[in-house]
Amino acid sequence: MRVPYSWLKEYLQTELSLAELCHLLTMGGLEVEGFEEWTAQDGGATEQILMTSVTPNRGDLLSIIGVARHAGALSGDGHSQPASSFPEVDEALIDANKATAGPVTVEIVDPIGCPRYSALLIEGIDVGPSPDWLRYRLEAAGIRSINNVVDCTNYVVWELGQPMHAFDFRLIKDGHIIVRRAEPGEKLLLLDDTWQMLGPEDVVIADPMGAVALAGIMGGADTQMREVTTTVLLESAHFDPVAIRRTSLRLGGTQASYRFERHVDPNLTLPALARAAQLILETAGGAITQRALDVKTADFAPQAIEMRPQRCNAILGTDLDAATMAAYLRRLGCQVEEGEPLAVCVPTFRPDIEREIDLVEEVAIVHGYENISPTVPGHLVASGRLTEVQRLRRRAGELLRECGLHENLSFSMTCAAELDRCCFPSDATSRSLVLLSNPISTELSAMRRALLPALLEAAARNARQRVADVALYEIGTVFHPQKIVGQASRLSTTPPGETPVVPNGDEAPLGEGPDLPHEQQRVAAIMMGSPLVGHWNLPDEQAGVDFYYLKGIVEQMCTGLGLTRVSFVRYEHSMFHPGKCAEVTLGERSLGVMGEIAPEVGEAYDLPGPAYAFELSLDMLLEQATLQRAYRPLRRYPAAERDLAVIVPDSDDFSAVRLAAEIAQAGGQFLESVTPFDVYADAEQFGAEHKSIAFRLIFRAEDRTLTDDELDGAMAEVHRHLEERVGTEVRK
Amino acid sequence: MDDKLEQLRQQAVETFQAAADEEQLEQARIEYLGRHGQLREIMKDLGSVSPELRPALGKLANQVSREVEQAFAQRQEQIAAQVASQEAEAIDVTLPGRAPRVGKQHPLLATLEEMIEIFLGLGFTVVEGPDVENYYYSFEALNYPELHPAMDEQMTFYISDNALLRSQTSPVQIRVMEQQQPPVRIVAPGRCFRRDTVDATHCHTFYQLEGLLVDEGVTFADLKGTLEVFAREMFGPQCHMRFRPDFFPFTEPSAEIALTCIICGGEGCRVCGNTGWLEVGGSGMVDPNVLAGVGYDTETYTGYAFGVGVERLAMLRHGIDDIRLFYTGDMRFLQQF
Repeated sequence: MRVPYSWLKEYLQTELSLAELCHLLTMGGLEVEGFEEWTAQDGGATEQILMTSVTPNRGDLLSIIGVARHAGALSGDGHSQPASSFPEVDEALIDANKATAGPVTVEIVDPIGCPRYSALLIEGIDVGPSPDWLRYRLEAAGIRSINNVVDCTNYVVWELGQPMHAFDFRLIKDGHIIVRRAEPGEKLLLLDDTWQMLGPEDVVIADPMGAVALAGIMGGADTQMREVTTTVLLESAHFDPVAIRRTSLRLGGTQASYRFERHVDPNLTLPALARAAQLILETAGGAITQRALDVKTADFAPQAIEMRPQRCNAILGTDLDAATMAAYLRRLGCQVEEGEPLAVCVPTFRPDIEREIDLVEEVAIVHGYENISPTVPGHLVASGRLTEVQRLRRRAGELLRECGLHENLSFSMTCAAELDRCCFPSDATSRSLVLLSNPISTELSAMRRALLPALLEAAARNARQRVADVALYEIGTVFHPQKIVGQASRLSTTPPGETPVVPNGDEAPLGEGPDLPHEQQRVAAIMMGSPLVGHWNLPDEQAGVDFYYLKGIVEQMCTGLGLTRVSFVRYEHSMFHPGKCAEVTLGERSLGVMGEIAPEVGEAYDLPGPAYAFELSLDMLLEQATLQRAYRPLRRYPAAERDLAVIVPDSDDFSAVRLAAEIAQAGGQFLESVTPFDVYADAEQFGAEHKSIAFRLIFRAEDRTLTDDELDGAMAEVHRHLEERVGTEVRK
Repeated sequence: MDDKLEQLRQQAVETFQAAADEEQLEQARIEYLGRHGQLREIMKDLGSVSPELRPALGKLANQVSREVEQAFAQRQEQIAAQVASQEAEAIDVTLPGRAPRVGKQHPLLATLEEMIEIFLGLGFTVVEGPDVENYYYSFEALNYPELHPAMDEQMTFYISDNALLRSQTSPVQIRVMEQQQPPVRIVAPGRCFRRDTVDATHCHTFYQLEGLLVDEGVTFADLKGTLEVFAREMFGPQCHMRFRPDFFPFTEPSAEIALTCIICGGEGCRVCGNTGWLEVGGSGMVDPNVLAGVGYDTETYTGYAFGVGVERLAMLRHGIDDIRLFYTGDMRFLQQF
């Protein structure tokens, strides 16, 4: 809120400098975000403006008086009030639902939406431009000058915090104000020339003909003040914050609704009428000819709360005596009866103070947070530690970084078009997305279903910057629109079990579970080029990444996480090259996919060369991962090596992993390892679509050096097995 | 005498062979062939030998002398050849090396990890909650009154009436307290979302670190003390913390947390808006309504909670001037840290 300094000083007498005052307010809970040296548009006035930022619980600070009152309480200087008093207002006609004074009748039909409605008639006014002092004040506060009468009501809004409205009384049918809920479908043309369709959640001010103003938000166009207006009816009412907010959220807010939502003092209606009347009589003439009306449905008495001084100290960690606390609360406008506990009467402009704990906060604020000495809690005795899963997740990231990949972060929000662009599988399950109902833009309208689309985009962005060497990984959450039970699994301090998923299906029962999507942690990576491509002493064909480079990284990560049962199976996936794609499995479960990005996807992203990528379920990986390592004694006797090559058809049936398994099966108890070390295709030598795969076999015994006879025997068994049982030709 | 000569010959030849370079060889030459070398010394002794043995010994001595000189010459040649051949293998050591790439941690997550380490050291454990939260945990259990303007500040993304992207990590407090009795001592890192327009200092996606301590006798002064330890550990002893009143529905009293501006050291600069302080988060004593809502006895237990933004700390640590850089995936950015 803009607080002109000269205005504030009318009600605050203090020795403090402006800077000291700002510091006091900021440290007292009303942040002064800055100053403005304001000059009127016509150059006729200058002013220093304090720019305050008011927290949503402190509607009482949304006025000049409110700021003066708070500053006075904090400094102990106190503050003053505008002196405006009229007998017609002081002795207003009070009634619980309907009152009449002369030609004016006020009736509250909706006491929930409007617990209090005060009104005052001023006759014989002369509507015209405002005097300079009024115009400048409003301009400094950021309010457009309309005419002298409207400006006076706005002046009161700013000064006291009570929103007001001025009706041209002649246009109120029968002079009868009715505060009620709008009829379904009732329409109202507002001051800003917009037609609004209203309904029973909206509180309106009406006359017997229909709505004339939208309560607490904006007046109607038909009954507004005009130059010809001679009789004004001033409205000064108290509206329910929730009712006003419901309407303002739908139709948009105003200075008035902003204040009502944050609670206006219900006992401010009459002082505001008096102040407005004083200003109007000064600037527009006229006379008060009737008693004011004050229809109030409750008595709005101050609230009584008790506070135990001992409890206050126990919460704050302070050692204040009860008298000091009482003095602090009195400075805030409370009436305090000392004793055990303190009996506190809270002024009605502080509806946020309802409980003992609220008074504790007030004591802390007046005492000054900076005057509370910090203590290090003795409660911090246990040792904090990451859980196993948290440590494993960190380790997974470390392993990928050790493999040369940089950690990337991308947004959780994406859109369906991104899935088209990367040829994401088109089946219904893959394409079902968690959609936002109020996205910022269509590009960010859904929660990501996978990490790779964003990594592809990152690769593309790098390529556009002529960075051809990309190596990125990301660990992040993806979202599936299934309703799930037991969402809190990530909270548990033990590794999560399998998250039970209730498939959305068509009409799956919601059950006990919260209505939330399924979240899964994934790990994904993309690689393209290499830092060594173009290196002066490495041939490019050896420098770039390829399928096996990335596979090696996946293997490295899995090994580092203690996973030994990871395997790779040829796979088809729309995002990947049909011949260079593998499903990564752990035992029976599919972890995800890896391979070379399909050429058409690479083209869609304008990638300069082949890219390699994987995306795996980190949740599944970590379920079986472990950081425990058992030492294996070092072997004492030397190993023996034997090589062997087979000629096989170039087919998945004779994959390296299968042949190695066959060899291991036949190799006997001393066979320690089987590793393919050469793959070679030569149509002339082996026939078309055949290739040679050479394996290195390592034999070793625990207790002795193996003899040539033993080795020859084992190799003969392997040969026989391969030729007779597997049906491959062993090269001689 | 024969034996002595023979011994000398053997020693000399072995020493020449063992010489690794010209310098060592020269040392050996002086030792055996020099003017005061062992060979000359032994020759002097020839005079004291009986005359009948002298011719034979003299012959032997000459032969030994020749052989030793030959051995020297031979080794000298070998060493010279070796030097020449290694020189031929010389490379240009100024050409660039072939460095294996080491991946870097994202600066945002590195900062978050460091923050977590500090709280682990203070005895906190780490828990995580879902990114998509329900209305109850996001607002109701956190003591947000129905239709309260405080919700405006959250600028929440909704998926449905009941499912939304969490705008702060505070819902984790409730999830944890529902599952356990005090003492509770947790930090909860995580991604949060607000419908904020993206510019150099704002983004719809950001990270927070939430903290919660509930036990008997926890005070507001403890909250200050804990956060001051954090500030000092994170930014050094010259970093101070400022506490001032603020409002959050789920804490009472509530406090804004600001740290000494790291850029100007508190003198006032553009980054801190000339205040010398940088706001980094919110905190306060857990509101009794929140504690009662999870079934805790509010007379026995009190607690504090805080939430600290990660982006700002990471930007200050590294002098990053645009928050959008965190999400570009730009290799030139990521490899700097």
